Amino acid sequence: MDTRAFDPAMIVAVIPDLLRFLDVTLLVAITSIVLGSLGGIALAWMKLSKKRVLFAIAEAYIYIMRCTPSIVLLFIVFYGLPELLFSFFGFNANTVHRAVFAILTFTLLFSAYISEVFRAAYLAVPKGQYEAAVSIGLSPWQAVFRVVLPQAAVIALPNFGNATINLMKEGALAYTIGLIDLIGQGSLIIAQNFGAYGIETYTACMLIYWILTLLIEQAFARLERRLDKGQSFAVRDAAKKPGFLPNWMKGGEAHGA
Amino acid sequence: MLMQIRGVRKSFGDHEVLRDVNMELDRGDVITILGPSGSGKTTFLRCLNFLEQADGGTMELAGDKINLASASKKEIASVRKKTAFVFQNYNLFANKTALENVTLGLTAGRGMDKAKAEEIGRKALEKVGLLERAGYYPAQLSGGQQQRVGIARAVAAAPDVILFDEPTSALDPELVGEVLAVMKQLAEEGVTMIVVTHEMKFARDVATHVIFMADGVVVEEGSSEEIFTRPKEERTKRFLKRVLPEDYEEGALFI
Amino acid sequence: MELDYEFMQKTFFEVWQGAGVTLSLTALSLLIATAPAFYLAVLRLRGSTASRSIARLYVSFVRGTPIILQILLLYSLLPSILNVLVKAAGLDFNIFESVSPFWYAVVVFSLNTTALLAEVFRSALLAIPKGQLEAGLSIGLSELTTYVRVIIPQALVVALPNICNVTVNLIKGTSLAFLMTVKDVMAIGKVSASYGYNYIEAYVDVFVVYLVLCSIVQVLYRFAELRLGAFRGNDWN
Repeated sequence: MDTRAFDPAMIVAVIPDLLRFLDVTLLVAITSIVLGSLGGIALAWMKLSKKRVLFAIAEAYIYIMRCTPSIVLLFIVFYGLPELLFSFFGFNANTVHRAVFAILTFTLLFSAYISEVFRAAYLAVPKGQYEAAVSIGLSPWQAVFRVVLPQAAVIALPNFGNATINLMKEGALAYTIGLIDLIGQGSLIIAQNFGAYGIETYTACMLIYWILTLLIEQAFARLERRLDKGQSFAVRDAAKKPGFLPNWMKGGEAHGA
Repeated sequence: MLMQIRGVRKSFGDHEVLRDVNMELDRGDVITILGPSGSGKTTFLRCLNFLEQADGGTMELAGDKINLASASKKEIASVRKKTAFVFQNYNLFANKTALENVTLGLTAGRGMDKAKAEEIGRKALEKVGLLERAGYYPAQLSGGQQQRVGIARAVAAAPDVILFDEPTSALDPELVGEVLAVMKQLAEEGVTMIVVTHEMKFARDVATHVIFMADGVVVEEGSSEEIFTRPKEERTKRFLKRVLPEDYEEGALFI
Repeated sequence: MELDYEFMQKTFFEVWQGAGVTLSLTALSLLIATAPAFYLAVLRLRGSTASRSIARLYVSFVRGTPIILQILLLYSLLPSILNVLVKAAGLDFNIFESVSPFWYAVVVFSLNTTALLAEVFRSALLAIPKGQLEAGLSIGLSELTTYVRVIIPQALVVALPNICNVTVNLIKGTSLAFLMTVKDVMAIGKVSASYGYNYIEAYVDVFVVYLVLCSIVQVLYRFAELRLGAFRGNDWN
């Protein structure tokens, strides 16, 4: 390896080139978050249900996802799924865009993470809110949709934000299956320079991700302030009582996701 | 007879909380239920609104007879529309303003149009003296104010009977008075109420009928004067001795 | 489709050989990260404005960027830096040949874990009521003694579930060490997979090994929680 000096100007120089592929990164992340949230709602509903089979299936799925490295799941989906599809359905998945495999993987992961956030938020709304709603004549469905869920959504928001940021970072793995996103483009730039400017290019990628994270954090903080309408006072008061919120929610950081 | 309740039973696991509780009331009655904690009085009240499902018992309300243990969803909905509940810890909807708390049951529950509901809501808030706080969220109100909104929410539905579950026990002592004053005013207007409470003075001054419960059964019942001045049962006497001022003598409250 | 069970069985034991590397990478990174993480947590809670900002910046940067980029960057950067240092010291020592990539991985994951643990420690310390410190001072203990004897033991129990999360995530995270040519579970699986094009079989093996490792770790933490959390009484039956 040569002892070429570190060139800070190069960091700035590659940023426009990298940003051209930011849309791929964001598309994969946002699609996975939307689809994963739908899956997460289903899983949370299963875990709250009184049917043992549904509960067990959701519990097992969430546990397995929690123990699976994202890269392993990505490789199973990318390398294994086409084989399965071909042998069972004669479907040739080789023409399917790589982004689809990435989205499928991250949807599977995100639905498991986020279902726990949804479930905890639902349980964090005091039971009296539901009771008060039905006592004034709302049907059980109305009580859930008009009273409990809007409050649960506000409670879930900070952890949803954390999970979103984590998913965006996990999305960086997609370049390992050859998807040309931000980092994929970074690797191409390095290859074009015959391995030089690796440090500068990676630093540029990191800066972009860091800024993206800070922007998402800001956006969620603002959204939270707009939505909470004084509700968080009540939640915060209630949260002082032990056992009201699960431990990992009190810190305000979702380390699990 | 507005309401007739027969043979209410309820167990939590092995623990029998209610054993054959009966009660009847007429329009305009104010019934207070007294009793030591753990006597089952709150559970009884919650069974009447199906917040707990009783194991047995029937309720006849304004002509409809309903089995408390096996009521259909439709029957439950109809009872809830004819009754209202005021909770110990208020349970105001945390994400809705005082006015929205009062109107939600009218618009979403009964399909009333919004303008009409707001008109009724404002009247109800005015009745509890909180019209100027209509736009406040629960977290911005004191406990006493929250409970008054809770009462307004119940009143707005114009129910046949309002169920009060220890409405003042979560309040700081200096805030109890404002809530009791509102309840007394309602009683004077002829609102039918069942009140589970520890407020002896309220029971004495306002109740038309007092029920004393212990260990899941009604030990004794009668007019407030009967219960407070001439309790017949030993358990009632012991309870009154304990909860009333130290210098309690039978009848002292009526001097 | 026929799965090649014979291959799967054979590969499973090969992949299992990598568990030692995965676990030692995890354990070393955790051990190395603990002290600086605690220091960062205390800095963020009671440091000067400047040190608070530095601590926050570090945590924000590490948590705000993908671990895969941290790996790629440090794996390009560390050898060169070491090389310069060795040359400057006048040593005749070839960095590129004699330092195992395992150690670069240890550095990367330690730096990463430091930031994550700092957040865990911080929220755990915040969860201990201020009255505990005041009570300690009131009976004449020094602040340090109160921390060591009263606050940290309580905070540790509060933090354990989150430390467990960090550990499980770290085990999973080390699967990216193959990018630095470390021969861990994932790397062995990847070689087997591409060798015979038995992708599903090999990666399912890898998946099972991680499932086992993560499960064992979670059981151990659960056990620790039961032991250390005895003072909480009613929480555990």
